Amino acid sequence: MKNNYRRSLALTGIFAFFLTYNSPIFSQNLPQKNISGNITDGADPLSGVNVLVKNTARGSISDLEGRYSVTASPNDTLVFTYVGYKLREVAVGSGSLLNVTMQVDATALDQVVINAGYYKVSDKEKTGSIARVTAEEIENQPVSNPLAAMQGRMAGVNIVQNTGVPGGGFSVRIRGRNSIRADGSEPLYIVDGVPYPSQSLGNFEVSTVMGDAQSPLNGINPNDIESIEVLKDADATAIYGSRGANGVVLITTKKGKAGKTRFNVSSTTGVGVLSRRMNLLNTEEYLAMRREAFANDGIAEYPAYAYDINGTWDQQRYTDWQKVLLGGAANYTNVNASVQGGDAYTSFLLSGNHRKETTVFPGDFEYNKNSVLANINHTSRDGRVEVRFTANYVVDDNNMPTTSMVYAALSLPPNAPALYNETGGLNWENGTFQNPLAALEGKYLSQTNTLLGSGSISYRLFNNFTLKSNFGYSNIALEESSTSPNTIYDPAYGLDSSFSSISVNNGERKSWIVEPQLEYKRDFGKAEISALVGSTFQSETITNLYQYAYDFTSNNLIYDIGSAAYVDILASSKEEYRYNAVYGRVNLNWAEKYLLNLTGRRDGSSRFGPGKRFANFGAVGVAWIFSEEKGIAKTLPFLSFGKLRGSYGSSGNDQIGNYGYLDTYQGNGFSYQGIPTLQPTRLFNPSFGWETNRKLEVALELGFVENRLLINAAYYRNRSTNQLVGIPLPATTGFPSLQGNLDATVQNTGLELELNTINIQNDNVHWNTTINFSRPRNELISFPGLETSTYANQFVVGEPLDIILQYNYLGVDRETGLYTFQDYDNNGEITSPDDKKKVTRIGVDYFGGLGNNLRYKNFTVAVLFQFVKQKGYNYLYTSALPGDMVNQATEVLDHWQNPGDNATTQQYSAGFNSDAYSAYGRLLGSTATVGDASYVRLKNIALSYQLPLKSEFGLACRLFAQGQNLLTITDFKGLDPETCAQQLPSLRQISAGVEIQF
Amino acid sequence: MTTHLYNRPTKYLFPILLFLCFSFISCEDFVEVDTPNYLLSGENLFNDKKTVEAAMVGIYAQLRNSFLLTGTSQGLSNMMALYTDEMDYYGNSTIREASFYRNNLLASDETVAELWSASYNQIYTSNAIIEGVAGSSNFTPEETAHFTGEAKFIRALLHFYLVNLFGEVPYIKTTNYLENQVAKRQPLAEVYASVITDLEEAINHLPEEDSSGERVRPNKRVAKALLARVYLYMENWEMAAILAEDVINNTAWEADPQRVFLKESTGTIWQFMPEFEESNTYEAQTFIFQTAPPPARALSAHLISAFEEGDLRRELWIGEVSDGVDSYYYSAKYKLLPGETGNAEYSKVLRLAEQYLIRAEARTKMGDIAGAQADLNKIRNRAGLANTTAASESDLLKAILHERRVEFFVEHGNRFFDLKRANQLDDALGSIKPGWNTTDRLLPIPEKELLVNPNLQPQNPGY
Repeated sequence: MKNNYRRSLALTGIFAFFLTYNSPIFSQNLPQKNISGNITDGADPLSGVNVLVKNTARGSISDLEGRYSVTASPNDTLVFTYVGYKLREVAVGSGSLLNVTMQVDATALDQVVINAGYYKVSDKEKTGSIARVTAEEIENQPVSNPLAAMQGRMAGVNIVQNTGVPGGGFSVRIRGRNSIRADGSEPLYIVDGVPYPSQSLGNFEVSTVMGDAQSPLNGINPNDIESIEVLKDADATAIYGSRGANGVVLITTKKGKAGKTRFNVSSTTGVGVLSRRMNLLNTEEYLAMRREAFANDGIAEYPAYAYDINGTWDQQRYTDWQKVLLGGAANYTNVNASVQGGDAYTSFLLSGNHRKETTVFPGDFEYNKNSVLANINHTSRDGRVEVRFTANYVVDDNNMPTTSMVYAALSLPPNAPALYNETGGLNWENGTFQNPLAALEGKYLSQTNTLLGSGSISYRLFNNFTLKSNFGYSNIALEESSTSPNTIYDPAYGLDSSFSSISVNNGERKSWIVEPQLEYKRDFGKAEISALVGSTFQSETITNLYQYAYDFTSNNLIYDIGSAAYVDILASSKEEYRYNAVYGRVNLNWAEKYLLNLTGRRDGSSRFGPGKRFANFGAVGVAWIFSEEKGIAKTLPFLSFGKLRGSYGSSGNDQIGNYGYLDTYQGNGFSYQGIPTLQPTRLFNPSFGWETNRKLEVALELGFVENRLLINAAYYRNRSTNQLVGIPLPATTGFPSLQGNLDATVQNTGLELELNTINIQNDNVHWNTTINFSRPRNELISFPGLETSTYANQFVVGEPLDIILQYNYLGVDRETGLYTFQDYDNNGEITSPDDKKKVTRIGVDYFGGLGNNLRYKNFTVAVLFQFVKQKGYNYLYTSALPGDMVNQATEVLDHWQNPGDNATTQQYSAGFNSDAYSAYGRLLGSTATVGDASYVRLKNIALSYQLPLKSEFGLACRLFAQGQNLLTITDFKGLDPETCAQQLPSLRQISAGVEIQF
Repeated sequence: MTTHLYNRPTKYLFPILLFLCFSFISCEDFVEVDTPNYLLSGENLFNDKKTVEAAMVGIYAQLRNSFLLTGTSQGLSNMMALYTDEMDYYGNSTIREASFYRNNLLASDETVAELWSASYNQIYTSNAIIEGVAGSSNFTPEETAHFTGEAKFIRALLHFYLVNLFGEVPYIKTTNYLENQVAKRQPLAEVYASVITDLEEAINHLPEEDSSGERVRPNKRVAKALLARVYLYMENWEMAAILAEDVINNTAWEADPQRVFLKESTGTIWQFMPEFEESNTYEAQTFIFQTAPPPARALSAHLISAFEEGDLRRELWIGEVSDGVDSYYYSAKYKLLPGETGNAEYSKVLRLAEQYLIRAEARTKMGDIAGAQADLNKIRNRAGLANTTAASESDLLKAILHERRVEFFVEHGNRFFDLKRANQLDDALGSIKPGWNTTDRLLPIPEKELLVNPNLQPQNPGY
């Protein structure tokens, strides 16, 4: 794919270039003749290519079919230029037909135009820190969520997929955790200029299968994305003011391209399987553990409920529950069709996508996503008026079980009974077996309709001023339900459908935004000034209704709440959020060498109490392109590009709930004596205000050998102050926390490196390598009064926020056979918090990606490795007592049996030895539960072959195969080093497809 | 580039200025939002009797639905029955109930943490009502007294359970979080003194009969009945006897053991009303099972064998399920499952039978053997049993403890509290519960509370 959208930009740029090109040297008096031909990029015609007769002012521009004609003499040379492509010079010679193929110029820094939100900037002249992924990289991956497509591709952007269940959430951290609150570090998402919620409308109590709420970004179809830019430093984020503290993710959808009306159809199908599993005990090992556990506890007669060893269950039986419950193949299909075209003034794009994904669970579950994208762009004949409108509608339909089966797969005794009885029904083994498949009788259904409409109108008042307004409307409606029919219970209990229940969560978010702006651009010879002022008016309404209904006359009526005998309304709310801002930017470009960028914003948010609503944010960014200095160009001829840039400024964070400053009561859905009840909503604090993040960045960008080697190194230091947090409180206050500001400072520093090389580049072969590396550091640098605050046992000044205070695990005592821990207060007892003093750091140390793209003639290969060096919770954190009626990792085999034994696991216990149980309980809060969770993952391989078709209709056909998460290399002890939790890991996917264009 | 426009910029000044004006309107008004219609401000709440009433009954709904006194599996009725010798647990060993059953609670136990925090949350609401009503001039003296009385009763009730489960606890009397976040554990005597003060005020403030007519709201008698129990636990026999007598004299006896748990039962002092007409009690849902082996819990053999021959309660209040080989038993005090109709049952919190046994115990201690026997026989006779043969103080105390066991089994942790105050926990449980330790007489202070409030230190022994 080509970045053809630049074409429209190019038109205007080239026009300007034409007017300023002033070196009219007359050509020699040879006979002039008409030269014409077609210009292509190898496959498609290129329109808007500038054709110039060298050393003259004569020239023309290719038309929509790529045709051009120009008058020149045989001695002349034609110069073909086009944004994003290499300049070509071709001698005219004797003929009159001259067909030209343009080659993409991957190294042209000034040609890569980056979206910086309210303005665009070339990669060369940017003063801020902006990372980018393009449609090509996104489309190489068979993923359903744009966040998944960003993993491993951007320096400073750490993305973790929380579950392999389709539709599940992601955790995104741009340059670390700024907020003491665990949940206040989400970036700001902007889709085509319209803020997009980072908070899901979903309810994690309903979407239990995902272990979390749904991802809010399900409403964006990755195939519709042209590019994703991530703004990181103050210079880039300050214009987003109060919402830019955690970085800004700008998602730009595809735009229609002028030219011949083109149809594009692509289809992909694939399969996904569990990417990793654990080694668990087999039946023999398991039963030996159980027998020893009871023996250790001094219990000779197995209790009636110990069905696994008291003779109730077959002790010869063995089932690999991971294989049975998680071993399925998830099928995946994606079909995309689009049509686009237009002329120099008006272009359009219409695109539709259907995606279907099944699961690895037994049973019939699937995730469907259907989307439509429509875009229209128009420029008036006089070029003064530009109109853009994009509408995006996504229907996200998810049908999942209510549980992910991961827990059952890891914990069921290996000799647990068969799932089905002889007659094919679920086997309950006479009431002794809670059949895991029974849970599949319950269904999680969700449907999300996302409508995003955005547009802009701009009017060029005269050459220097442009009036512009962005506007947008979004409506996200989510309806999710989780059922619990009576059939999830053993039928022997005799429970009928009056025990069936459903939880239904409905959420809707409507938002509109209007952003009038005025742009000014002027060239004063060497100096070029551009400026922007604008304002934002945004209003958002969020409604939520969460209901629980039970007692149905039939399970067929379970989705009709009206058929339930009882309905509890667990939550019902309608919140309003208003936001208003004024912002501006002034950019000064002196001789394309010295750049100065000033940005600022004054923001008001309704989330704060009166008098605390407005705050100012601003930043300054500077850059020096020293390779443009004559002296340097002379002394360092190998240096093709050199830029030093820096920025400093502030942005804020208002990611808190609405109305936090009000003292209120609300209903909780219950009634007593027929009276609907009220209860206090929260402890309130009328006077909390903005959290501010001051960001500093210094970066060096270097290009060598005609920019075939590009190095980009950045150092940043962000300090977040006036921390806006839910201060934890003891329950004696009535509530777990209080919204307020803390006089604490959190610092994030880090080093980011990006390396791009073009290893081979000729007509047949193009091979480039990209490497990104990030080393974030987080530190709580000050917290006056920490010792006496409620955070005393959570944070330590001088340490990162991602620490845990734990018992220091010392191993298994050789005499007692129990886990032992350091007794910090030397009182002979291990208690919390006095002995939970060991500071353990978790989280990432460094991470990055290594990508290689190779094109040989019509064949391309892209390979991406993702690497993460980190510490996280291992399997012990969620492990059961070794000896209990729960299966265990094979690590427990190395256990203590007799005095003097040196073992890693303590003596087995069935739970009746209090000392053993307490020691196990402490182990869960000890350093033993944290280990190395580093991994290297073959994130993506994409192979593609362009069929060498010669067709008059411009028929093109591409075959491709893609693989995702193909290989993970890790020493992690547990299921998945990415999540470090008992969740379904991201799947290993392989897919193949075809794309046809005509 | 041409600059003629630059030379005559005035032509464009007007639209630009207009635009700038528009842009720079940063309206304070625009970001002003009204209190949404699903929230009621605290100020407005205390303007209206109806909304205070809604907040008040919110506490009863919570008590009925969750923790301490609920009939669901998270309540003391279930949890403490498993903790002692009343029930056995058959469910998954990783479910929280297993830790209560095996007496291996950790300081990090979530159920314990929720028992603690839910109770203090309800105490907060009580305090908010006490303060809000006192600060409002919208209520008549009767209304003020009524709300204050109910709120103080609740505050005393919750602290009373907390102090018996956790030992020394903070007694919270304000909504001020600055004060409450550094609350200290108070000596037992102080906590009890506050419980008594609150109950005495509640007795003063509360009406003789509650407005519901169904005994689902506290009235004077309810507060007195609780106070009688408080004095019993404090071994203030005289006061316990006086208060129990007061309650007994003003409440009709329910002679039919089959009617004790019905909503109209005359022996009821205070009960929780179910959410809806036919949703019935949570107790029935929690305890009744129909298959053997039982899916989660069943009455223990220890309890079953404690019943004397011919005890009607064994027959009427206990259900049996057999798989052909073994029999399993459940508490059938409440019989109606959700949706079932029949003689409607409400969940009992305070029953008259307890007042008789309180007075019996107090009378025994004060040397009134005949009076004590009469009270004890009142309970025994209703269960179809002959008069007690116990005549000495120690025999009578034993007989009363036994009677309490078979009368109040699986009701709000009575067994645990009785064994605890009689100092018999170790004797009764040590030999039959493999995980039992002397230190299990107190639950752990939730670890997460210790982490945020060092004044709650030290942790209870054994955790």
